[in-house]
Amino acid sequence: MSNAFVPVPALLEDIVTETPTIKTFVLRPERPLPFKAGQFVQLELPGLGEAPFTPSSDPREPERIEITILKTGLVTNALHELEPGAILGLRGPFGKGYPVQKLAGHDVLVVGGGVGLAPLRALLYHLYAEPDAYGRVSIRYGARSPEELCFQRQHEEWVAREAVDFTPTIDRPAAGWKGHVGLVTTLLDDLDMDLERTYAVSCGPEVMLKFVTWKLLDLGFAPERIYLSMNRNMSCGMGICGRCNIGTHYLCKDGPDLCYADIKDIPYALG
Amino acid sequence: MKYVDRGGLAFFLKGLAQDYDVYAPRQVGDELVLERVDPDEAQPEVAWNEHRLAESYKPFFFQTGKVVSRWTAEGPQGAAPTRPRALLGVKACDLKALQIVDKVFRDHTFQEPAWCAARESNLIIAGDCTGSADSCFCTLLDDVPWPKSGYDLSVAPSDGGWLVDVGSQKGEAHVAAHPTLFREAPAHAVQARDAARAELKARLEALNARYRTRDPLELSVSKNLKTRIWAKLAATCVQCNACNLVCPTCHCFLLHDVKTPDGSARLSMWDSCFHSGYARMAGGGTPRLQLTERFKNHYFHKFVSFPRNWGVTACTGCGRCIDACMGRIDKRDCLYRLETEWLPSEVLGEIH
Ligand SMILES: Cc1cc2nc3c(=O)[nH]c(=O)nc-3n(C[C@H](O)[C@H](O)[C@H](O)COP(=O)(O)OP(=O)(O)OC[C@H]3O[C@@H](n4cnc5c(N)ncnc54)[C@H](O)[C@@H]3O)c2cc1C
Ligand code: SF4
Ligand code: SF4
Repeated sequence: MSNAFVPVPALLEDIVTETPTIKTFVLRPERPLPFKAGQFVQLELPGLGEAPFTPSSDPREPERIEITILKTGLVTNALHELEPGAILGLRGPFGKGYPVQKLAGHDVLVVGGGVGLAPLRALLYHLYAEPDAYGRVSIRYGARSPEELCFQRQHEEWVAREAVDFTPTIDRPAAGWKGHVGLVTTLLDDLDMDLERTYAVSCGPEVMLKFVTWKLLDLGFAPERIYLSMNRNMSCGMGICGRCNIGTHYLCKDGPDLCYADIKDIPYALG
Repeated sequence: MKYVDRGGLAFFLKGLAQDYDVYAPRQVGDELVLERVDPDEAQPEVAWNEHRLAESYKPFFFQTGKVVSRWTAEGPQGAAPTRPRALLGVKACDLKALQIVDKVFRDHTFQEPAWCAARESNLIIAGDCTGSADSCFCTLLDDVPWPKSGYDLSVAPSDGGWLVDVGSQKGEAHVAAHPTLFREAPAHAVQARDAARAELKARLEALNARYRTRDPLELSVSKNLKTRIWAKLAATCVQCNACNLVCPTCHCFLLHDVKTPDGSARLSMWDSCFHSGYARMAGGGTPRLQLTERFKNHYFHKFVSFPRNWGVTACTGCGRCIDACMGRIDKRDCLYRLETEWLPSEVLGEIH
C-alpha cells in the first residue's frame, strides 16, 4: 500500500525574490508530480513541518514545480532562509483544482490579492495554453504597495496578450506609481464583461474574498459563477484529517476552490 | 453457533497470547480498564464488561503521537506496523465506531496506513451487552446492544458458559483449531441469550424514551443551522475537548514533524474541532471563532454532514461524551432540545 504521508524528495533548484515578503521556490522532484491548475501540494521542510501551497507554475511542466510563498510563520519563515541545493519534501497533488471544464467556452474574470495571484498564475498558464478553448481573460490584481506586486516581470507580457486584460492596483498612493489606487474591489466597478458568459475565480486573504464575493453578487454574478480559493488550515491534504470541513465539503479534496453556491448557506463559511 | 464452557474460553484466550498481544477489560480498583494480559499469567483474569468501557478501542487503531513516516539517510519511508492485538470486551457500539471511521480512513481514495494495517491484523472478540450505563443510548440511533457485524468472534454468556458467534474467516480458523473446546450450541442456550437481548433492548429503550425525537436526528440538527439555541446548549462548555478525545468516532488529526537523531519523523496527533484555531485560514482569519459555532459544527458534522457524505451517522450512542463532560452536557438532551425547542421565529436574518 502506498503511504500518502511519505513525501517525494525534491531539490530546491532556484529561488526567485518576487517582493520583500514573497519568494518563488523552483523545485525538481525526484519523480515528476503531474498536477492540474489549482491542485495543491504539501511542502515539507524536513523536521520542521509542512504547509499547503498551490504551485504557481505551468501544469504542463510536472518535472519542475514553482511554488510562490509569502513569509508568514514558522514554516514559511524558515523556507525564506533557504539557499538553493536544499532537499525538501512534496506530497500530493491534492484537491480538484480549478473547474476548467466549466470555464471552457466562457470569459474568465481572475481576481487576486497579494500572494493569492500565485495559484491563479497556474490557471493563467493553462488558459494561455489553449486560447481557443476560452473567451476573454480579465485579471484584476491588488497588492498593498507597488513593490508587493507579485510576478512583475510577467505583467508586461500579460498586458500585451490578445484577449487578456490585466489591471493591477495598490491599496494606497505611492511615489512613482501611475496605475490604479484602491482595494481590488474598486477595479470591479467598471467591469466591461458579459456576465451571462463569465466565470469569476478569486484567491486572496479571507476578508478580500468576502468583499469580492459581495461585489460580484451586486454586479449580478450568479453564485454558481463564483469560485473561491478557501485556504483553510489543512493537515493531511486528502480528506481524512477532518480539519478543513465546511458543511459536507472537505476543502482539500473537494476544493480548495469551491463554488460560492455550495457554501453560501453555511454560516461563517467565508469567515 | 458454538458453545464453550468457562474453563474452555480461558484456555483459548491463553493460547491467543502466542500470536497476539491480548488486551482485555480488567478490574483495577473501582474501574474496569483495558489492560494487556501477561502471556505468562497462569489464569488470565478477564473482567467481562457488562457494557462498553469508559475508554474506547480507538487508540488500538488510531493512536495519538504515532509516527506515520520518517525521513532518514535512506530517504523518506512509511512507519512499521504494530504487533497484532487481540481485543476483548468490544461491544456493539465499539464495532459500529470502527465501521464509521473505516469510511474515512480505509474505504476512501486515500488510506490511513496505520488504521488499515491494524484493521487487518487485530483480532476482535466482541461481546453482548448484559447491562447498560446510564449514558448509553444506542437504541436512540436505532442500534441494538449486541454485536451484529464487524467482529471475528462474539461471545454471550448463556447456560453457565459462553455462546460463540463466528463473524469472519479469521474467527472461523481460531474456532476450527480447537474442535474439542467449541461445541455446537444447544438450542435452549441460544433461546436464553435471545431473551436476554430482547430484555436489555427494552430496558435501554425505556431508559431513553424521554429523549426520543419524532424527526430523524439529521433533521432535528439541520433545521437549527441558523437558530440561536446553540448558545444555550453550549453555555457550560469549557472547551476541554474531552468529548472529542473519548469519542470512538472522532478522528481528526494533525501531522506534526519533529527532528530525530537520525533525521526527522512525522507524528499524527489527535486534534479537536473545539480548538479555536482548528479552522483558521491562510491570512489569519478564523471562521469559527465563537465557541457556539464550533459547538454547532461538532453536532453538524456528526449528525448532518457525515451521514450525507458517508451514509451513516458519526455517533454510536455510546454516551462516553456524556460521562466525560465536566459541563454536564448530555448529547441526548441536546439532540432532544434541538428538536423540541426549535422555533422558526428564531431564524436569524440571512447572513451574507
Ligand atoms: C490549499 C492551500 C493553498 C495555499 N497556497 C499558498 C500559496 O500558493 N502561497 C502561499 O504563500 N501560501 C499559500 N497557502 C497558505 C499557506 O499554507 C500558509 O501561509 C502556511 O501554512 C503558513 O505556515 P507557517 O508555518 O509559515 O505559518 P504558521 O506559523 O503556522 O502561521 C502563520 C499564519 O498562517 C496561517 N496558517 C498556518 N497554517 C496554515 C495552513 N496549513 N493553511 C492555511 N493557513 C495557515 C495561520 O492562520 C497564521 O495566520 C495556501 C494554503 C492552502 C490551504
Ligand atoms: S467535553 Fe463538554 S466542556 Fe469539554 S469540550 Fe466537550 S462539550 Fe465542551
Ligand atoms: S458523540 Fe458521544 S455518544 Fe456519540 S459516539 Fe461520540 S462519544 Fe459516543
